[in-house]
Amino acid sequence: MTHVNTPSNGRLLTTVASLIIVVLLAVALMPANAWGLTTAKCTARTNVDSQNVVQGDKETRINWEGQAASSEEVTGFTFTLPEGTRFGADDVKVTMLTGDDLMERTSINATGTADGQILTIAFDQPAQAGGYFRVEIYHVFFPREGGEMVITGTAQLSDGTSAPIADVPAISVQGVSLAQSMGNWLSEQEWVQAWNSNKFLKLFLNPVILVTSFPVVLKGFFLALLILACAFPLAIPLGLALALMRMSKISLLRGIASVYVNVVRGTPLFLQIYIAFFGLPLAGIDVNNVVMGIAVLAMNSSAYQCEIFRAGIQSIHTGQFEAARSLGMNGAQTMFFVIIPQTVRRVIPTMMNEFILLYKDTSMLAAVGLMEVVMYAKTIVAATGSITPYIVAAAFYLVITLPLASLVGKIEAKLAGAQMGSDKKRKGGKGLFGAKTDKNNNTSEGPASAAANVDPTANTAGGSQAVLSASSLAASQYNEALGALSASSKN
Amino acid sequence: MKKNMKKLLALAAAGVLAAGCIALAGCGSDNQSSSDQNSNSTATAGDLGLIADGTLKVAVSPDYPPFENLENGEYVGFEIELCEALAAEMGLQVEFVPMQFDAIVPAIAAGGQADIGASGFSVTPERAEQINFTSTFYVDDQAVAVMGDSPLASDTSALNSADVTIAVQSGTTGESYARENYPNATIQPYGNSTDAFAAMQAGQADAVCTNMAVVNKMISTAYNDAVVVATSATGEEYAMVVSQDNAALLAAVNDALATLQANGTIDQLLETWM
Repeated sequence: MTHVNTPSNGRLLTTVASLIIVVLLAVALMPANAWGLTTAKCTARTNVDSQNVVQGDKETRINWEGQAASSEEVTGFTFTLPEGTRFGADDVKVTMLTGDDLMERTSINATGTADGQILTIAFDQPAQAGGYFRVEIYHVFFPREGGEMVITGTAQLSDGTSAPIADVPAISVQGVSLAQSMGNWLSEQEWVQAWNSNKFLKLFLNPVILVTSFPVVLKGFFLALLILACAFPLAIPLGLALALMRMSKISLLRGIASVYVNVVRGTPLFLQIYIAFFGLPLAGIDVNNVVMGIAVLAMNSSAYQCEIFRAGIQSIHTGQFEAARSLGMNGAQTMFFVIIPQTVRRVIPTMMNEFILLYKDTSMLAAVGLMEVVMYAKTIVAATGSITPYIVAAAFYLVITLPLASLVGKIEAKLAGAQMGSDKKRKGGKGLFGAKTDKNNNTSEGPASAAANVDPTANTAGGSQAVLSASSLAASQYNEALGALSASSKN
Repeated sequence: MKKNMKKLLALAAAGVLAAGCIALAGCGSDNQSSSDQNSNSTATAGDLGLIADGTLKVAVSPDYPPFENLENGEYVGFEIELCEALAAEMGLQVEFVPMQFDAIVPAIAAGGQADIGASGFSVTPERAEQINFTSTFYVDDQAVAVMGDSPLASDTSALNSADVTIAVQSGTTGESYARENYPNATIQPYGNSTDAFAAMQAGQADAVCTNMAVVNKMISTAYNDAVVVATSATGEEYAMVVSQDNAALLAAVNDALATLQANGTIDQLLETWM
């Protein structure tokens, strides 16, 4: 019916018009039905976290609203709920709505009694004729298999007759999900009840919520992975380009890159996300939420990656440049065929740390409503009041970050090992460089590399670490390059 | 295999230990605060199990004008003044603890951060399972607002269609109202109502659905070019939330609210703010 959604801000004409329509409708329906109530709406409260869905075997609330004909004084209702539906008769609430846009509430004292699937609601006195009623039935559990739930009803009138309630729309109910039925089963287990009797365990590690929130948070996990899988590869060329600009001989390029890097690294990502999501659309840039999220994270990460690449490139010994140039390569060739391939190997551990950081940073997008891991967890926390979904969310981060962190450790050890090996080969050679190398190996395996896994500031630490160990690595490669050069000159 | 099992066991043991430590730490601080309470309780009214003696810590989400928001760094709003009056009535100092709206109920249920929560909480059976509600002091309805130049401004029936995004505040009755009544639309939750309105203005969402008092206040102050297109007299009753473990505090707050209701303070505040 139109009158439910009519505007309230002083649009008297519309209101009057819609009221007339209502009256006309009621009058028009009267001859056909003789009497009867028309249904304005019949809905059930959604009961699945962050979805517009009503699920079976889970508590919900039915909300029926309808209009009595102008001559009808309603004294009560009888609703027949679908077979297999459980409901509470005690908490039935009846409200009569009147006035412009039906914004005036009159609470009606009514008592509900249940007889099988039939719910009888009796008012303590007849309501005003032609009322618009809202009936709320609480503690409703639809059948577990779901389906289209059709509710039928009649209204008892003051003259002793009853009038049918017409046009009740069916409520779509989904069948119980696997996780929900597992959760229901768990909540009936004795050990779960014993476990949950401890307040701490109930709030933080409630097995029921652990199970039911898993599939919901999983959806956010996929979005987070999608964002990560797009943003990180995008950030690599951006970061490399910025690094080359920062080392450029042209001061304009250098200036642009260093302003960008310093601004991005000098402001919180949280703020950058807010500015991008709420600011850019006002400037006419209107893109999809997910695309915007990917763009912001890629741009943010590129600034950090710029510094990683710059440190990596600068760590390559100048001998490499000189050797390549003496082979007749130009600047670009030197960079792309000699310097960058060597840089890539050195920056892998720091880049992987940046990858881990970027993955964790996807959680910031929750603030602007992107439905990723933290956002889904938040919505369940809001609905259940339990912290358990956050623990589930933490698991979804650890499942990526822990294996990666250990991989970083292994690669670092391997790089250090390779370096040790080359040191041994050159035993007695460059004593000075050899000593420096050992020292750097110690630092790269020490707390600095552990810290690099957790802290954004570790990016710079990681970067400088790359510079240090790289400068020592360069010594061996310098020798190899010299050897290669002399070999080629011999040929 | 055996080695793996051992590793697993060690991990599990470490986990249990960590959990135990946190639980113990929690118990420890509880005991301390209640013993403090006992030693000083003669000075204040009864043993209310407050976190800090003589201070009522109120968790608020200060983004919900006219109920509570920040103006020049100061807490203002109907519930802010109500809490101040409430604390004065109870002979306590008041301290506001800012939180995200959807974090308040879990925080009150877990305890330790605030004594009561006040942020336009409508009484719902779901929330009542986690916390206790005080007696109610305001009744509000739901409203949907759109930007004035939006096609939805003239065609409200289109609100319930797949290409419409409705911004809501996460965990509010506005969210569940929107999900129930506009099931075809995309419901986009934000951390606070300010963000929900900012998202609508920025075009990230087509409409905002939240409590009517908030919508009206937002439109009359910051978002003059938005209009209300749909209202529903849902008649939600506002109350504050108290931990289920603290019956004494609930009773004391209800007593104070009854006094404030009887002496006209609440009506006066409503007149000032609504």
